[in-house]
Amino acid sequence: MAPPTPASSTKKKVPLKPCPEPTKMTDRPGSVQDFSALRELLKPHIESFDYMADQGLQKMLEHIAPVQLTSIRGKFLNFMPYYAKFCCFDFLCFYSVPDCVGAFFFQQCRQAKISYTGKFTADICFQYNDGAIIRDNVDFGQFPIMLKSKLCHLRDVDPRKLASYKEEASEMGGYFILNGLERVVRLLILPKRNYPMSLVRNSFSGRQEGYTDKAVIIRCVRADQSSVSLKLYYLHNGSARLGFWMRGREYLLPVGIVLKALIDTSDREIYVNLTSCYNEKYEKGKGVVGTQLVGERAQIILDEVQELSLFTRLQCLEYIGKHFQPMMAGHVNDSFPNVAESVLKNYIFVHLDQNFDKFNLLIFMLQKLFSLVDQTSVPDNPDSLQNQEVLLPGHLITLYLKEKLEEWLQKGKRLLQDEIEKQDKTFIFGDILQVKKLMGKNLSKQISTAVENMLKTGRLVTQTGLDLQQRAGYTVMAERLNFLRFISHFRAVHRGASFAGLRTTTVRKLLPESWGFLCPVHTPDGEPCGLLNHMTSTCRITSFYDSQGNIKQDYSEVKKSILKVLIAVGMTQSVPKLVLPGPPQVLTVLLDGCIVGCIPSIQVEKVVAHIREFKVSSCLEIPDDLEVGYVPLSMGGAYPGLYLFTSSSRFVRPVRNISIRSDGDKNIELIGPFEQVFMEIRCPDGGDGGRKSSFPATHEEIHPTGMLSVVGNLTPWSDHNQSPRNMYQCQMAKQTMAFSSQTIQHRADQKLYHLQTPQSPIVRTSAYTKYSIDEFPTGTNAIVAVLAYTGYDMEDAMILNKSAVERGMFHGQIYQTETIDLTDQGRRSDRSSKVFKKSNVEKFACPALDSDGLPHVGQLIRPDEPYCSIYNEVSNSTHSFKKKASEPVYVDYVAVDGKTKKPFQKVNIRFRHPRNPVIGDKFSSRHGQKGVCSQLWPDIDMPFAGNTGMRPDLIINPHAFPSRMTIAMLLESVAAKGGSMHGEFVDATPFRSSVKKESEESESKSVSLVDELGLKLREKGFNYHGLEVLYSGVYGTELTCEIFIGPVYYQRLRHMVSDKFQVRSTGTIDQVTRQPIKGRKRGGGIRFGEMERDSLLAHGAAYLLHDRLHTCSDYHIADVCSLCGSMLNTTFIQPLKRPVREIGGLPPGRAPKKVTCHACRTSKGMETVAMPYVFRYLAAELAAMNIKMTLKLSNGAGA
Amino acid sequence: MEGGVSYARMPRVKIRDLKDDYAKFELRDTDASIANALRRVMIAEVPTIAIDLVEIETNSSVLNDEFIAHRLGLIPLTSQRAMSMRFSRDCDACDGDGQCEYCSVEFHLLVKCMTDQTLDVTSKDLISSDHTVTPVDFVDSSLAEPSDTSTNRGIIIVKLRRGQELKLRAIARKGIGKDHAKWSPAATVTFMYEPEIHINEDLMESLTLEEKKEWVESSPTHVFDIDPVTQQVSVVEPEAYTYDDEVLKKAEAMGKPGLVEINAKQDSFIFTVESTGAIKASQLVLNAIEILKTKLDAVRLSEDTVEADDQFGELGAHLRGG
Repeated sequence: MAPPTPASSTKKKVPLKPCPEPTKMTDRPGSVQDFSALRELLKPHIESFDYMADQGLQKMLEHIAPVQLTSIRGKFLNFMPYYAKFCCFDFLCFYSVPDCVGAFFFQQCRQAKISYTGKFTADICFQYNDGAIIRDNVDFGQFPIMLKSKLCHLRDVDPRKLASYKEEASEMGGYFILNGLERVVRLLILPKRNYPMSLVRNSFSGRQEGYTDKAVIIRCVRADQSSVSLKLYYLHNGSARLGFWMRGREYLLPVGIVLKALIDTSDREIYVNLTSCYNEKYEKGKGVVGTQLVGERAQIILDEVQELSLFTRLQCLEYIGKHFQPMMAGHVNDSFPNVAESVLKNYIFVHLDQNFDKFNLLIFMLQKLFSLVDQTSVPDNPDSLQNQEVLLPGHLITLYLKEKLEEWLQKGKRLLQDEIEKQDKTFIFGDILQVKKLMGKNLSKQISTAVENMLKTGRLVTQTGLDLQQRAGYTVMAERLNFLRFISHFRAVHRGASFAGLRTTTVRKLLPESWGFLCPVHTPDGEPCGLLNHMTSTCRITSFYDSQGNIKQDYSEVKKSILKVLIAVGMTQSVPKLVLPGPPQVLTVLLDGCIVGCIPSIQVEKVVAHIREFKVSSCLEIPDDLEVGYVPLSMGGAYPGLYLFTSSSRFVRPVRNISIRSDGDKNIELIGPFEQVFMEIRCPDGGDGGRKSSFPATHEEIHPTGMLSVVGNLTPWSDHNQSPRNMYQCQMAKQTMAFSSQTIQHRADQKLYHLQTPQSPIVRTSAYTKYSIDEFPTGTNAIVAVLAYTGYDMEDAMILNKSAVERGMFHGQIYQTETIDLTDQGRRSDRSSKVFKKSNVEKFACPALDSDGLPHVGQLIRPDEPYCSIYNEVSNSTHSFKKKASEPVYVDYVAVDGKTKKPFQKVNIRFRHPRNPVIGDKFSSRHGQKGVCSQLWPDIDMPFAGNTGMRPDLIINPHAFPSRMTIAMLLESVAAKGGSMHGEFVDATPFRSSVKKESEESESKSVSLVDELGLKLREKGFNYHGLEVLYSGVYGTELTCEIFIGPVYYQRLRHMVSDKFQVRSTGTIDQVTRQPIKGRKRGGGIRFGEMERDSLLAHGAAYLLHDRLHTCSDYHIADVCSLCGSMLNTTFIQPLKRPVREIGGLPPGRAPKKVTCHACRTSKGMETVAMPYVFRYLAAELAAMNIKMTLKLSNGAGA
Repeated sequence: MEGGVSYARMPRVKIRDLKDDYAKFELRDTDASIANALRRVMIAEVPTIAIDLVEIETNSSVLNDEFIAHRLGLIPLTSQRAMSMRFSRDCDACDGDGQCEYCSVEFHLLVKCMTDQTLDVTSKDLISSDHTVTPVDFVDSSLAEPSDTSTNRGIIIVKLRRGQELKLRAIARKGIGKDHAKWSPAATVTFMYEPEIHINEDLMESLTLEEKKEWVESSPTHVFDIDPVTQQVSVVEPEAYTYDDEVLKKAEAMGKPGLVEINAKQDSFIFTVESTGAIKASQLVLNAIEILKTKLDAVRLSEDTVEADDQFGELGAHLRGG
């Protein structure tokens, strides 16, 4: 049989764009960039939201079951179905403040601290009996809109226009603005949909008596993205149970009943189906999954059903219906079979419509389960990316919205029901107007508010749990600390909050399956290590849009055409009553979790290659992101089969299919992590990678940098660094004080870091140009000398040249915004009476303020000076806001909300904290080499080069290199030196040696990187290795060795001493213990803890110990009664009973402070003892527990 | 050092190259401490005038006030007057508030952009109250087109677009580079020891032409050359040698140690001085010597030195000028 050649269809697919080869290092000046590479990074977010707006919501509405309402009124019985359907769905990008017309721009939302929303309405359909459908348009409130999505009115605005709207020219959207804050929906890892996964988990055996630890799990997803997970447990007796969750409880059904209830079938048919995977012919060999035991188990399953005396389908349905009727809402008076049907429809294999398909899948899962038990296949790894997909923002919102709408319908039903039951004559059920009016009481606008709150807090408020593992942490703030941190939020994939608390490290492991999809370098170290990953720069997420941005064909169409292709290449299609054989003769073919047929195993490889050809070719029959998961026959490996996936939210990445001859980019194929495991992909260096000839490579990586994330790709020559250093750099790049935004003057972020004099790095990777990082540079090319010069560069400290800093190096500022909203100041009653105004009385009290109570722009405000004043017209009092800071700040701007009432109510005041480098600030190179500035060293004392007179900007210690092995930093220094002398940027794309050059010349290969860079230096009269003879700046003599010196791109990190230092002599104390309070903000102290105490004890520094723990803490002099030893009931100060005789002219004599013991009724034994105040507190606490504490006083050595 | 160098020496200066902002000279018969002292004084202690206080009246530009003030400070001002000016901290005329004519120069800047084209605010827009103290004019003398305005536009301070305005008053004061880099008159001051290069001719002759070439090429700078006729290796430019020892290493690698002998003369230095334009390079050197002298005088005349006289005998007397 010859496979048909790919048919050409009317519409032509444009070949996928691979990541462009790095060629140009600079951009043409003056040209407008299109930022398409950046937009590509955010596509998963935007496309999923677009789909929700396009079709997703409609699909979701179709999946909402109509709510039925029955009423009994008077004489006649009214059967009133109350049918709801949403048809119309439209968004308007208008914010509905009455006197505010016109679309809001993002900037206005951020500035005014409002949400970027659109109106969300839907049609509710009412239908009486089978009468006409009456539609009612209901307003569901202001729905949050993702920026730059289809619903956003600035979607297709060009960069130039965006800039005129006070937006970033490169604005990419993908996030929401909620109360002025930018929030991103976190991408979450979910189990791969519609794929039965075999698992071994100890918790399974604890489920009930008789359960083993083995099960097959499938997460079934409906077209509206809602999902139901099913578990097929294996029992010790050989049978199996199908478990699913319904309303917070797991229900377990014997499989036999489900099998019989699904279709009309006989015991024999079930038996034959189950044992189809076992054939006596193949005793033990490659790809054999069934054993003799399968037949016995099938017998047990059938016997179980018989024991319950269930023989026919109807009996099974009744059995299920009887048990589930109480749980199924809306089926109160339904017949048992109907209830069962709805259970099967809504809970069992919800991704399939046909019961026959469900039956086949269940048989398949049983076979897989039995194979797992018989150890003819290994369990799947749920922590591997192979069995995972991702939760996208649009899908999450759709899910959440669905539940909220269902709740709303149920609430509406209850409202109507209550009204009917009231027997109130005024309410006529048949009158649609009255029904509508009543529905109006059901607050429809809360739906959007609920979604907005979900996005604001990241918390799901749900009863069903939506088949998701966690309740909180779905959204995060998209911090704009710098651009890299910002985009990393969109590329981050979290494993799930439930894994964070897990003690085991298995989930955090870097598995080979994630190669090319998740960056091995870009994960934080510490607590979220391995749980928070980042997608590689080439990784994409499948969506409902094709590569041109057109919405994909309907699924049924896609399925039909795929089936057509499959049948053409020799697949036996599955039809009812036909028993398909199992491995090893044939391989079962599953398409999105539906068994569509089987392919003889000898042909399957050809078929797979053929489908791949179709995938790559420009025809529409097979989508280009189809995942061809061919699990080959093996000796007890993964369960074999051909698993095809067309669904969305899968990871895919482009690789070159070299079995298809093509020039250029016509052979780029998108592959997923499921198929990748079984594919042979070679490195593009032209070698075989140690591959055996029996497994020839079929695919080739486009470029090795595709395995790194965007941030990871920015490290120059990261392949020359020790890998943890690259991880640290990924961390530090994201906490660099940089050029965070080009619209910084319009922004109202709480805190914004800004580098005043950034530079473009001389040494840069191809990704730097590709993602236009030059728009947001993160550091400065500093001349770095590597030497131990003063001793101030020990232990990762670094010396900055004072003059270099004075000339502007690493200068920066922090912008901080205070929002003052009069509408939420104080109580409701006096809100309206407040205005921004300076006090009339003390006119000259605060010169910083203008008469309108606001500061002047550019004004310097010192600590504890007022920056804003509010005047209450009713109480005639002023209230001023004081700046709590340790340093003076400048007023950067004052923005007032002029759109609302005349005396404005809302003000944003932005302050500017100058942050020029000081001792203690943190800096780092791009190679995980961080250091703290230890001195600003005078320029004249710095070493200088004899011939050029060059003095370093920065000195680091040579000890930073041997153990860290950041060779790339040395390379960068040499390369940047050569580059700056030649006046050109240097390409530092990693893995250069692993790429086949286009014009391969054998001799050029031998030239190593160092040689290339060294020659460039030599051309300009420098030492080949970047060394230079330096002279001491202090003595003018030659330093005894040559010094490695050159420009290195340095970043200034956001950790600055000015934000961290903490000092205290005296200050506020805790009310209860009288010890100093903690916290830098409140002027507290630093805890002198147990370990510190231990060290002082060990040193014998008793006086210091006493000083720290007592004198400077809660020193207290207590009166103790030595007679009874109590310190609590003794301290009554005896009130002076007799009146004090006053002697004229003399001041009243101070009554002697007399302390008596209440218990002993005498003051004889009173002594004063110095003690920590907490000791008294302890005594009081103990007394409260009826424990008396007595002190025995003695004199010094007396003991 | 042979012969025991006496501290009573008469240093000699030979000027090689002198331009307005560039000077190259030899300093002989002295030692590194003097040479380095001269270098340090030139960078950090020769006074210039630079903007030190900025009062901003209007600033609607994209840069914030501190940024503009910082940029203004870094603009070099012609500072011939600086040596005779007073530091405002010890000015009697104005009680040290630094606003009198003896210790300060006032500048004004008033620019508003009225067109749709971006307007560059440059150092040329600074209006000085004293015609001797003005922003340094960067006219490249090599370009014989003084009228060409496109190349002669001063230092850009900020760019304005339509409607933006910058209005400020700035006070320039005298200061030294030690206090802030903006007062440093030197862009670069460096010196190197003069090398003494002796080629061992006998050993050199034992090399083939190939080897000679290879050896000559091993120096990254052009120090040696081969005579095309006689094929003899000669030192063409000894000062290009950077003490990188490349040729020595090469000779060693070729199995000919001692092929060349290179020593740094300990008592002669080649200075390179580049000025920011605030004062002429020649003036910079002279001022530096002047300041160095004043400093030495301060030591000589100090009370402590007199006391030390008794303790240190001859040395103390010498210090005092005895």
